[in-house]
Amino acid sequence: MSYDDVEIEDMEWNQELQAFTYPCPCGDLFQITKEDLRLGEEIARCPSCSLYLTVIYNMEDFQEKSNKKAEPPKPQPVAVA
Amino acid sequence: MGLGAGTDGQLTTGSLQDELSPRFIRSLSAYGPIVSLSCGGAHVIALTPGGRVLTWGRGTSGQLGHGESVSTSQAHIVKELEGFVITHVSAGWNHSGFVSANQTDCFSSETGAIFTCGDGSFGQLGHDDSSSQLYPRQVSYFASKPVQQVACGMRHTLLLLAGNVEKPAYGFGSGKRGQRGISTDKVKLTSLPQITLGLEKIKISSIHAKGDHSSALSGSLYTWGRGFCGALDTYIPCLSDVDFPISKVALGWNHALLLSRQGYLFMLGGDCHGVLSDPQQTPSTADIRDSGSIMTWGWGEHGQLGLGNTIDQTAPQVVGLHPNSACANATPRLYCVSGFSFVLITRI
Repeated sequence: MSYDDVEIEDMEWNQELQAFTYPCPCGDLFQITKEDLRLGEEIARCPSCSLYLTVIYNMEDFQEKSNKKAEPPKPQPVAVA
Repeated sequence: MGLGAGTDGQLTTGSLQDELSPRFIRSLSAYGPIVSLSCGGAHVIALTPGGRVLTWGRGTSGQLGHGESVSTSQAHIVKELEGFVITHVSAGWNHSGFVSANQTDCFSSETGAIFTCGDGSFGQLGHDDSSSQLYPRQVSYFASKPVQQVACGMRHTLLLLAGNVEKPAYGFGSGKRGQRGISTDKVKLTSLPQITLGLEKIKISSIHAKGDHSSALSGSLYTWGRGFCGALDTYIPCLSDVDFPISKVALGWNHALLLSRQGYLFMLGGDCHGVLSDPQQTPSTADIRDSGSIMTWGWGEHGQLGLGNTIDQTAPQVVGLHPNSACANATPRLYCVSGFSFVLITRI
């Protein structure tokens, strides 16, 4: 059973772990990566124990960001004489 | 004695292993009988008889107050607080609070100053910004207001002023679940202390914060913040509807324990991992209230119940203490927080 439901805005981005994190009652951190979120994963797991939580987020927010990154730069308008 | 999760050195046993049974911690004996302990997310603050402060465990946000962001499994004196007599300490998830009895001016009486350090991302240090502090820093907002107690939660902090003041409690830090009790509206963050509403003119004896929960005790119990077990969040302190006088309160991550003046133990919230539900009397603790034993139950995955295993317990179990400490003239006190626990044995 999921320990809790947490909104993505309440999670903290951890640069070192490259993941969104939220405090786990065991003392470690629940973690979920941007790639997980892009794929629609909603379970953030704790590496130190069996607890996990459900992340509430809008999947499209992460789709858009990823797509933007993946897209080639938009062609710049070329000045014509 | 320490037991449970030890991954950040929070058990001060010198190793990073979990301990399934209580282990005697010799290194603390050098500082005299420890007066009190406070356990945070993965760090611990201990108070010595002379008002000195020891910290150990996770220090990645500066919550140990040693001027660096490293973890340590050895207890160290917080040098920055030497010269102050610290009377009350509180460890939050990744931040710490310290209350001093007197400022350096020996003529002032009971002017409690408040110092905070550690993670300040949510304004929980009260310094009017969201920066973290590696050393304890005095919260200037309370320079002329004597502080008696501090309670650090996951991302918020509560303060109780000393004396009979009209507005006894303040909150700062994250307030998304209403845990600061400062407004009936949802106010996400405030890094400047604000008055906790609904407690005006009430003589509060203690305040408590854990996770996103907050409570204050005046004989009656007030709770605010995140609702237990999916109940609605409360944005200002509400008088709890338990109809008996309460002498002590301990908040957990999703439940609270209440000790009645008659010595019976009750629980609010929490129905997973074996913690009981509804404000009900816990069945077997009543039989042993005078015997000085320690009983644990609930989540046991890291050995934090001290029963020698990692099994969750739905009913209180007696913890076997170290033979040297199980002395008839000693009172054990248990400090539980997350994945680890401490037993403090005070010889009478």
